[in-house]
Amino acid sequence: MSGIAAIGIDAGSTTCKLVAVDPDGAIMSSVLEPTEPRVELQVQRMLDAIRAKQGADSSVPTIATGYGRKLIKEATRNLTEITCHARGVFRDLGRAGTLIDIGGQDSKVIQIGPDGRPIDFMMNDKCAAGTGRFLEYTAARLGVSVPELGARALCTAREEPISSTCTVFAESEIISLIARGAEPDAILRGLHRSLVGRVVSMARSVGVVAPLMLSGGVAKNEAVRKMIAEATVEEVVLPGEPQLMGAYGAALLGIS
Amino acid sequence: MPIHYPRAMLRAHRLHPMELWGPPHVERHEGSRHFQAYTCDIVVKAMSFIRSGGLGASKAILVPHTCDALQGMGSVLGDFLDPDQRVLTLYLPRGRRGSDHEFLQSELRRLATTLVEVSGYEPSRADWDEAFEAEDAADRALADLYQRRDRLAISDRDFYTVVRSREYLTAEQFCQQAAALPEGDPPERGVGLMISGIVAEPALFDQIEAMGAHIAGDDLACGFRRVYSVSAQADPFERAAYRLLTSPADPTCGTPIQARVETLEARMRALGARGLLIYDPKFCEPELFDVPLLRKHLGACGFPVLHVEFEMGDRLPHQTLSRIEAFVETLS
Repeated sequence: MSGIAAIGIDAGSTTCKLVAVDPDGAIMSSVLEPTEPRVELQVQRMLDAIRAKQGADSSVPTIATGYGRKLIKEATRNLTEITCHARGVFRDLGRAGTLIDIGGQDSKVIQIGPDGRPIDFMMNDKCAAGTGRFLEYTAARLGVSVPELGARALCTAREEPISSTCTVFAESEIISLIARGAEPDAILRGLHRSLVGRVVSMARSVGVVAPLMLSGGVAKNEAVRKMIAEATVEEVVLPGEPQLMGAYGAALLGIS
Repeated sequence: MPIHYPRAMLRAHRLHPMELWGPPHVERHEGSRHFQAYTCDIVVKAMSFIRSGGLGASKAILVPHTCDALQGMGSVLGDFLDPDQRVLTLYLPRGRRGSDHEFLQSELRRLATTLVEVSGYEPSRADWDEAFEAEDAADRALADLYQRRDRLAISDRDFYTVVRSREYLTAEQFCQQAAALPEGDPPERGVGLMISGIVAEPALFDQIEAMGAHIAGDDLACGFRRVYSVSAQADPFERAAYRLLTSPADPTCGTPIQARVETLEARMRALGARGLLIYDPKFCEPELFDVPLLRKHLGACGFPVLHVEFEMGDRLPHQTLSRIEAFVETLS
């Protein structure tokens, strides 16, 4: 008999995540893949695989979140990333505070209350600035892979300021800087500073209540973590698997 | 043009108003040639509509001084573009003191003189009385609709379709529509929201319903802010001015923020709304000035506030809908 109590699906714009939890909310199984164009078919395949692996059937509560959540026909319920990330991070770290979730397509600042529910939030919309896509897109111009980004930005003390917060204009700025012979790592450092400036300004508009927590794929970037800590003068705390927190929170909400 | 104008005065002069709030599905480019890039869609799209001949059957365009953008529209139309219709302006005072009443009465007298020129008709005393009687009945019907909202077995979209039909129907037609709405057990409607702003497009109500919420009450310029008080002064200008200057709290009328907060808080408590959704067309100045203060004061009273800006006629982007949905989830 399966020990799975619920499955959470985070159909994000960049990656698709599934997490299965036991009745106590402990993660039993997880899977993460780059998002494919037909996310509903991809999720179905991932769902079938995780159910087969854990010996579960379709009666297990399945909660979907992420931009593709409404496409998941098998979901018992769908909830926004804000509620799910808050719940996942709260369970993982056991603390209320301010959560910054920098995803591929948007970023959010969420104030988490003492019961793990979001109290207030701010979300950037209609713009890639301040998101993982900003780093990914601009770094591609420098021929640097995403996992290398943070380390490269931190390996130099020089920093080329990027004045534009717009992703497209920032790319033009990078081209100009390259043409002027600027060091790529210094440009990367400037790009990180620009993204962090945008996110921190959003956090300040909601109000930063310690501790400051990070989730989403960009949380794995050490330069982003370091610069957020510098800008806010707050300790930055990370859950064990920052990229899985949306799916994990969804699964936890499936139990409750 | 929105928002406040003397309906009975138009009727007495045998003129029928058709309001232009956008319109949403008109391109901006024709109108945007005449305004700054940040001017809101209501003004720019209305200008596009007018310039493309959309008002062919109309005799005049009445542009109340609701905000700087509309005042600018009145000036551009009247001074530079010379449309086929006569352009009429109406300066609305920003306070509600005795001097504001006097000023508005003199403005209305000036407007009446122009209306005689436009319509070729000078109303008699009986015309004024008939006009006030009909428009007061429609104003009462609108107020009654809001009173009965919880007993009406209709969706929010259907409710606001009827509320907004006042923008183009005659007073009699509106009363008939309002009276015909079916009463019944209120459906289970999820979390109650108060919605504030200028105008909300119908699709928004469907989306809010799909998120498991409903509109418990509104503070919309196209809705509750036009639930006027009726009165019976003998002088038609005094009576028309009284109607306009006793409308509910409204930032475009200069209502002080404290009064707005108190009114909203009391209404939200009475109607069971758990949060305030401020839904504004982009760059709506009079609304934007109040947003930080509404957030601060209503937040302190336990009512979370979400501010969303939209462009008329465009589908709301996924991220914006997610913000509204997350807001509903925080209130659930």
